[in-house]
Amino acid sequence: MLRVVGLKLAQLVPVMFVVSLASFFILELIPGDAAAVIAGPQATPENIANIREQLGLNDPIVERYLTWLGNVVTGDFGRSLLPPGRPVADLMRAVLPVTLQIAVMAIGLALLISIPAALVAANRPNQPPDRVLSTGAFAAISLPPFLAALLLIFFFVFETDLARWGILFTGVVAILYYANAARARAQRYPAGRHRHRYVLRTGSVFAVTTLALVALVVFLPDFPRQGFSRITGSAGLGANLRTAFLPALTLALTEAAVWMRLLRSDLMSTLQEDFILAARAKGMPRWRVLLTDALRPSSFSLITVLGVSLGRAVGGTVIVERIFNLPGVGTLMVQSIVGKDIPVVQIAVLLLASFYVLVNAGVDIAYGYLDPRIRRGRV
Amino acid sequence: MSAPGRSDAVIAGRLPLNHRSGLFGAGLLVAGLVLTWVSLMRLDASAGFIKYILVAVALGAVFQGLKLVSKWIFGPLFDLGLWLSALWISLLVLIAVFADLLPLRESRDVSQALQAPIRQRPNLFSSHPLGTDAQGLDILGGLVYGARVSLIVGFGAVLIGITVGLTVGLAAGYYRGKLESAVSFLTDSMLAFPPLILLLAMVAVLSPTVANVTVALAVISVPTYIRLARANTLAFAQREFVLSARLLGERNPAIISRELLPNVLLPVVSFSFVIIAVFIVTEASLSFLGLSISRPNPTWGNMIAAGETRLNDHPHAVAVPGVALFLTVFSFNRIGDRARKMWDPREAKL
Repeated sequence: MLRVVGLKLAQLVPVMFVVSLASFFILELIPGDAAAVIAGPQATPENIANIREQLGLNDPIVERYLTWLGNVVTGDFGRSLLPPGRPVADLMRAVLPVTLQIAVMAIGLALLISIPAALVAANRPNQPPDRVLSTGAFAAISLPPFLAALLLIFFFVFETDLARWGILFTGVVAILYYANAARARAQRYPAGRHRHRYVLRTGSVFAVTTLALVALVVFLPDFPRQGFSRITGSAGLGANLRTAFLPALTLALTEAAVWMRLLRSDLMSTLQEDFILAARAKGMPRWRVLLTDALRPSSFSLITVLGVSLGRAVGGTVIVERIFNLPGVGTLMVQSIVGKDIPVVQIAVLLLASFYVLVNAGVDIAYGYLDPRIRRGRV
Repeated sequence: MSAPGRSDAVIAGRLPLNHRSGLFGAGLLVAGLVLTWVSLMRLDASAGFIKYILVAVALGAVFQGLKLVSKWIFGPLFDLGLWLSALWISLLVLIAVFADLLPLRESRDVSQALQAPIRQRPNLFSSHPLGTDAQGLDILGGLVYGARVSLIVGFGAVLIGITVGLTVGLAAGYYRGKLESAVSFLTDSMLAFPPLILLLAMVAVLSPTVANVTVALAVISVPTYIRLARANTLAFAQREFVLSARLLGERNPAIISRELLPNVLLPVVSFSFVIIAVFIVTEASLSFLGLSISRPNPTWGNMIAAGETRLNDHPHAVAVPGVALFLTVFSFNRIGDRARKMWDPREAKL
């Protein structure tokens, strides 16, 4: 195992080298005189010379790259070109926690949505709940993130009444559907003690679900249109979660849809196995077989895409941060791109890409823990 | 989405749809259309949630009715969603090609639209069928010219990506050796970059024109295409027909272009519909962020960004281009799903 980890880390070195090269040479892609482009049309020759000096454009390219790399490795990220000229490290320290929080919350929410949805869908394939969920997942995959964000804003910020009625309507339809199915199942018990117990038990489940639905509709929290309240801020954790919820949900929707489709197809093939049949034959209830016997062996592909999704979510926050006006890496990056603040863009690209590379490497290593076949083979 | 279709067909194949269900479908279709018209035209906004739920129910009825009728006419294997997707894409291509010939109101130049009402709601029987934006520019016109940008960028980037990716991937998979190692290292490194970040880095320094955005997107797709082409080439290069071609004395370039290319092309092309969908979303995201093609040229992304500020009271400026974008991406995904099932035997492994 140690050998596998070592090998993987050794493979990272050239990749990180390319990542750093690409981040640095963004500047070189600018056609013509980079300093003149950055300084803008109204710049005086002194301004341009200043910027050229600051970026070290007068030195040979290899030397510039090596100096830049040396500075970055030793923690000196340089200074922003925009007026206050703040150190890039300070800027990054302010924005990174926001982005990470949104990304991690998105992954958590996506798990919370996708696993129950996949269980419900795979339990009875091609029945109405599966049709609705699968179609919904396909639609969610086709929904661009910024549209999803605007849709959520429209319903959960501006037209909250519509959102409440929509949730209530969907919930009531689902409860009625399942109540009807449960009624049919109750008929199969012989009249008497067993049927009585079944009705009592399912009835209480339905009562709790209905209460939860009503509570959700009544106590739907007010989500702010934009802005972010830090955990350490004066408003506390509640305000923080309320400001982070809609952005995280936006990112979670697409991921959840992908995962739900993945987990559903894996679950469906697991449910064909003999040990599931054996568990069912012993008289285990359906939900119990699904949760304890089928879910774990089916969750394998889900775990492997989890890391990739985390990396993607960190990159994807660019859009939600812009829409919800969150002070994260994405907002900083878009501002820097518009303001041609290349040193900031370079560092942001370098940090995000490194994070992505490291997470993917971590997933590869974790994969070895999960699947013995890979552990023994070569990576 | 896929699984229901198939078993549906099996069940329906056993019990062919009779005239009764077809007639029921026709009834449902008519009822759905009437309900859509009533709820959209006759109910005003004060009806609130009832209006929205009625519209949703009506559209569901229209779709179900259409599905039953089409199965009644064309047989139980007819996949309505797929055909509707193909229809939408064809329509889009047509209006994008003939955009200049269509009688559209001004959607580009604000100085030409000074007389036009601003933020007019969609009304199919007015001169601005889909309404106007904050500057009085016609949304339908913007939609048509935006479709042109989306399609050029999507198809263009994919074409460049396929051309470069296939060439490099075929060569790497066929010649193997040092070339393959170098290509693999490069593609792995490029795939290690989060795509959106790489794209942002590129638009940071390039001027946002259609050509530049297309090339930037193509660069993103090249490593994926190289991988796909290489993997397929590796599989086919082992096969007997390649060996026999070599024994017959065919030169390497001829083997690649005549034996391998036709086999590798199909899975690569079938993968491309999904990539086009991704590219259209990405281009729209970039222009939404203001980092791609910007005003006065309308794109779906910058139209949505312009409407975003008044989302609360004039949602149509976001909803109209939003729905067009969603339908387009949905259609490409739907077609891509089917294409990969038909043409790509390796789909399960990818």
